[in-house]
Amino acid sequence: MDLELSDEQKWLSEAVETLLSREAEDGRLWARLVEFGVLSVGGDERLGAVELCLIARALGAHLAPVPYIGSAAVRFAAPHLAEALGEDAVALAVLEPGASWGAAPACTLAHTITGRKVAVEHAQSVARLAVVAAAEHGPVLAVIDATAVSSVAQPAFDPTAPMYAVELDGAAVVAGPFGGGAIRRMTTIGTLLAAAEAVGAAGRMLDDARRYAAERRQFGRTIGSFQALRHLLADMYVRQASSWSSVLYAAAAVDEDADEAPRTVSIAKAYVSRSAREVAHGAMQVFGGIAVTAEHPAHRFLRRIVVRERQFGDAAHHERELGRALAEAAELEPVS
Amino acid sequence: MEALRAWQARCYRAGYVGRAWPLEFGGGGRPPVEQIIVDQELAAAGAPEFANVVGLDVLGPSLLRFGTDEQRRRYIPAILAAADIWCQGFSEPDAGSDLASLRTHAEDRGDHFVLSGQKTWVSWGQFARWCGVLARTHAAGPKHRGISMLIVDMRSPGVELRPMTQITGHAEFCELFLDDVVVPRANLLGELGDGWKIAMHTLGHERGTAALPRQVKLRTWLDRALRVASERSLDGRRLIDDPGAQAALARALIGVEVLRHHAYRTVGEFVRGGAVGPDSSSVKLLMAEAEQRLAATVLEVLGPTLDHAEPEAVDEDDFWYETYLYSRAASVYGGTQQIQRNIIADRVLALPQE
Repeated sequence: MDLELSDEQKWLSEAVETLLSREAEDGRLWARLVEFGVLSVGGDERLGAVELCLIARALGAHLAPVPYIGSAAVRFAAPHLAEALGEDAVALAVLEPGASWGAAPACTLAHTITGRKVAVEHAQSVARLAVVAAAEHGPVLAVIDATAVSSVAQPAFDPTAPMYAVELDGAAVVAGPFGGGAIRRMTTIGTLLAAAEAVGAAGRMLDDARRYAAERRQFGRTIGSFQALRHLLADMYVRQASSWSSVLYAAAAVDEDADEAPRTVSIAKAYVSRSAREVAHGAMQVFGGIAVTAEHPAHRFLRRIVVRERQFGDAAHHERELGRALAEAAELEPVS
Repeated sequence: MEALRAWQARCYRAGYVGRAWPLEFGGGGRPPVEQIIVDQELAAAGAPEFANVVGLDVLGPSLLRFGTDEQRRRYIPAILAAADIWCQGFSEPDAGSDLASLRTHAEDRGDHFVLSGQKTWVSWGQFARWCGVLARTHAAGPKHRGISMLIVDMRSPGVELRPMTQITGHAEFCELFLDDVVVPRANLLGELGDGWKIAMHTLGHERGTAALPRQVKLRTWLDRALRVASERSLDGRRLIDDPGAQAALARALIGVEVLRHHAYRTVGEFVRGGAVGPDSSSVKLLMAEAEQRLAATVLEVLGPTLDHAEPEAVDEDDFWYETYLYSRAASVYGGTQQIQRNIIADRVLALPQE
């Protein structure tokens, strides 16, 4: 598998980066991103998993407060939807109270959808919700209007990614429902984009910590010259670089529709979940006391990393799944 | 050893050795990616290592890059066919990680050098015909500038070897004693004082390309561990059915897979014909981590079943004990983890020097 980025992919990455650097603190950021084309998902000429990950990584590095993961994931899941949705932002309504990621939904679809969802990100600023619900022949993905539900803000660990508890009481389906294949695709790309955002946020912390270590002086020396910190930063770099490798590899596998794609996505999510936090913790250690103050940006990146870590399953969740799959595969091997 | 030699010779005739080395010196003249593919396939099939691993991975590439045409013609074909086994004389008892402080000394006598000193960790030295020795040829100036690389005939008078038994019980390494060994000037590799440059190029090459076949090997070990864990039971439950064991094995799998993904991304540069960059150090760090985690995890998963071995049926247990013990070398050989971190801190992160 060739993991070298094409010229177009490099250009995309730089263009999004430039846009985000310029549009910081601007309320029009989401509109500018949409105008730029970050929602042109699927199809031959459009953005694939690798491109979406490049965009998500940049959004993470800038802590962009935009409903990107949901909007991109639902378009990736069901390509016909792209037309129907136009430029609408979409929030994913997947997780339910008392259940884990990937559990069978208790929400039901019988003409309309009824049930309760939690951790619906940006629910109050999007036009639509994509809901996973139980239908007659198994779980489906269906799109409803955001105005068709009542939502209440949940405690916001990362205020730039606000989460809501959503009550569905006979919400009308405006697009779909789509079968299990769409849910699988939505989950695959959503998992990967959550990981890519975390890599972006962690990468930013590594860069900032590196720069700080090269400037800050104590004991009459630049602290980056102390081996204890040089080695800490080197380890952070290895985690960061290999995290990106695992995301990129999984994204390429998804684009090629390889058999190993779901497994590599799980591997990337499990690895990034642990690694991004390790990088964030390392960076805060390099910054020292200043990173424990509210005005220092470190905690804002850490918060985003923690939120993305849990979304679509944390490291322990994916390790359990991978472990179970290993055990099942061992079952199939002839016993020698 | 003879079987390993014959195996390499047979693979060479089949075109599986030195596939990317120049045609004119007996190589295959193919793109580097083909050798990587072949090496991965050999590892997947559980094939033994080639007898001349040091010649193929370390000194052969140095000869190709820094040798004269005459040296290449003389040594390369014999390296490929395993006719002459090579070893490396780099480390010394008092020059390990601080390799540049080495004290083995070569006195320049015009048409020859007189070489004296002691080398250690000389892999396969007892079978070698040639040894690439780093020796000090200038006492003055910065210590890494005064080092040269000499090709030493192991049959020369004054060469003495003493095998060292490793913790696994095998004697893969030797100590090498050099006592006024005469080395013809024609056996100088590169220019006088080029030794450090050659050694660094060589070690980077080894780090950068060894990971891909290694991760395949680790994957075969993981598959073997899964098989054993599904065959053995404890308290009436198969080991593999323990959720704790499953998660631990999943973490070992993640280590091996991420190594593969990261090596694919960083080796890309090498495959496209460029040089191996400082990111080979991040690959080396991940490689040692993956191997050590895997080996330790398997002992944990097998747990008390290791103590249940029947007197006659210990082969499988021996394999895992040996794999575990040898895995401790992974964070030391080819430059310790600490040296790799220094390289990253200097060359990737551009942090101030200590």
